[in-house]
Amino acid sequence: MALSLPPGLTHSEVAFLCEMELVTVVPRQRLESIPLLRGKTPALRPPHRADLPLWLALLLKKQRRANIVPPPWLHPASLAELIHRETKVDPEKFSAPPPTPSRARYNLPGLAHRANDDERQIFSPPFLPSCTAAAPAGYLPYHWLEMAETLLAHAADDMPVPAGEIRGLLRDLVEVRAAKMRAGIGSAGLGGDGFLEMTGVGAVELAESRGFVLGVVDGVRKIGASAEASRREEELEAGDREDDDDDEDMGI
Amino acid sequence: MDIDDILREVDPSFDSVPQETRDVQALTRAWVAERSAPELLPWPADGLFERVNDKIKNQIEKVEEMTGDMDPKTNFALIVIQTELERYRYLVRSYLRARIAKIDKHTLHYLSTDALRSRLSELELAYATRHQALLHNHYLSSFLASFPAGLQNLNDSSGNINMVDTPDLDTAVFVRLLRDTVVQGRGVHKDDEMEGTDGSILILRWSDAKGLCERGDAELV
Repeated sequence: MALSLPPGLTHSEVAFLCEMELVTVVPRQRLESIPLLRGKTPALRPPHRADLPLWLALLLKKQRRANIVPPPWLHPASLAELIHRETKVDPEKFSAPPPTPSRARYNLPGLAHRANDDERQIFSPPFLPSCTAAAPAGYLPYHWLEMAETLLAHAADDMPVPAGEIRGLLRDLVEVRAAKMRAGIGSAGLGGDGFLEMTGVGAVELAESRGFVLGVVDGVRKIGASAEASRREEELEAGDREDDDDDEDMGI
Repeated sequence: MDIDDILREVDPSFDSVPQETRDVQALTRAWVAERSAPELLPWPADGLFERVNDKIKNQIEKVEEMTGDMDPKTNFALIVIQTELERYRYLVRSYLRARIAKIDKHTLHYLSTDALRSRLSELELAYATRHQALLHNHYLSSFLASFPAGLQNLNDSSGNINMVDTPDLDTAVFVRLLRDTVVQGRGVHKDDEMEGTDGSILILRWSDAKGLCERGDAELV
C-alpha cells in the first residue's frame, strides 16, 4: 500500500504534471462547457481559440475535434534563438525561465494574466499559462521538453514546419543543456557551498539528474561533516570573542 | 490603479481564480512536496482534503447519473469527466501513499512527540498507533519476551545512541522560489546568503529550505 518509489518525482510523474499545462486549441466542433473538478472548461465554438489542459487537448486532437496551437517558444526561430543564447551568449547558465507574472505583467503582453496577483496563493507551473499561444517566445517553460515531445508525437501536423526540423533543433538544445548540467555537477561548488542555483532547468532534466546531483551533494556533506562541525565551532568561538570585546568596549 | 483594478471593482468575479483551481494547485503542490521532502510534512490544515474528497464524491455521483443517459453528446463529456476524475484520484492516492511510506519507515519517530504527532491526520495517527502496537506485540511474542527486561525497549536512548530512527533532515532538495526572499544555506566549506528572485531553482539542504516552504516563499520541485 505504501508508495515504494524513492523521493523525487519520476519521469512518468513529471509527464503527468506536464499534462496539466494549459495549451491553446482551435476547436473544429462545438462542445459545451464541461464541469470538471479543476473548474469548468470553456465552451468550444469554432473557430474561437480556447485554453485547455494538455490531456484534454490531446483527447480532442485524437478524435479530430480540435487542432492544437503550438506555443510560440516551440517555433523554429525561437528555438534557434534559444540555442544561440545557450551556446554563445551565456554558455555557463541555463537560459532564463519565462518571467513570472509578478515581474513581467506590464512589459510582456503574453503574460498579462494576473494569476499571481493573489496574496493568498501563488501559482507555479503547471498552473501558469506558459505553453498557451499567448506565452512569450524565447523562453523555455519548466515543462518544455515533455511538452515539445508530446506535441510532436501527437500533433505533428499542427506544427508550422515539418516536425523533423523542430526535432533536430530540440535535440541540439537538449544536448547543449545536458552538457551544462554535467559541467555544473563537475564544478567545485557542489555540496561545499550553501546552495547551488539551477534556475531555468526543466522538469525532465531535473528528474534525470536528481538522483545523481542530490547523491553527490549529500555525499560531500557526509564526508565533510566533521570539517563542517569544527568550522562551525571555530566561527562560534570567534563570534563569542568579538562579543566579549564588545562587552569590554562597553565597559570602558 | 490600472484598468484591471477598475474592472475588478466593477465586477468582483473579474479574473478571480476559482476555488477549484486553487485546490488543484494546492493539492499538486502538496503531492510534489510530499514526494520530494525527506520527512513527513504537516497534514494540510485548511480542510483541503475534506473539500477534495467531497468534490470527488459529487463527481462520482454525477458520473453515475450521466451513465444512464445514452445521448452521444453527453457521452463524450462523460469520458472527459471520468478521465479527469481518475487523474484527480491518482493525485490523492499517490499523496496518501507517499505519506504512509514515510510513516511506515519512521513510525516511532512520528509518534514520539506531540509536535510530530500533529503532522498526521486522524486516520494516519490511528493507523500508525495500531501498526506500531501490532508490530510490538509480534516482536514481544517472537523474541523480545525472552530478552532481559532492561533490553526490551524499542525506543532506548541510553549511551547517547537513540534506537528510534529519524529521517535525515539535512538531505539536499530542489526548491523553486515563489517570492523574492533572502535565502540562507549552510555548506561544508562556507555558509551562504543571497537575495533570491521568484522563479529561481536552488539546491539546498531541507533543514534550510523548510522555513521557506512553510512560509510559502518556496515550493519543492
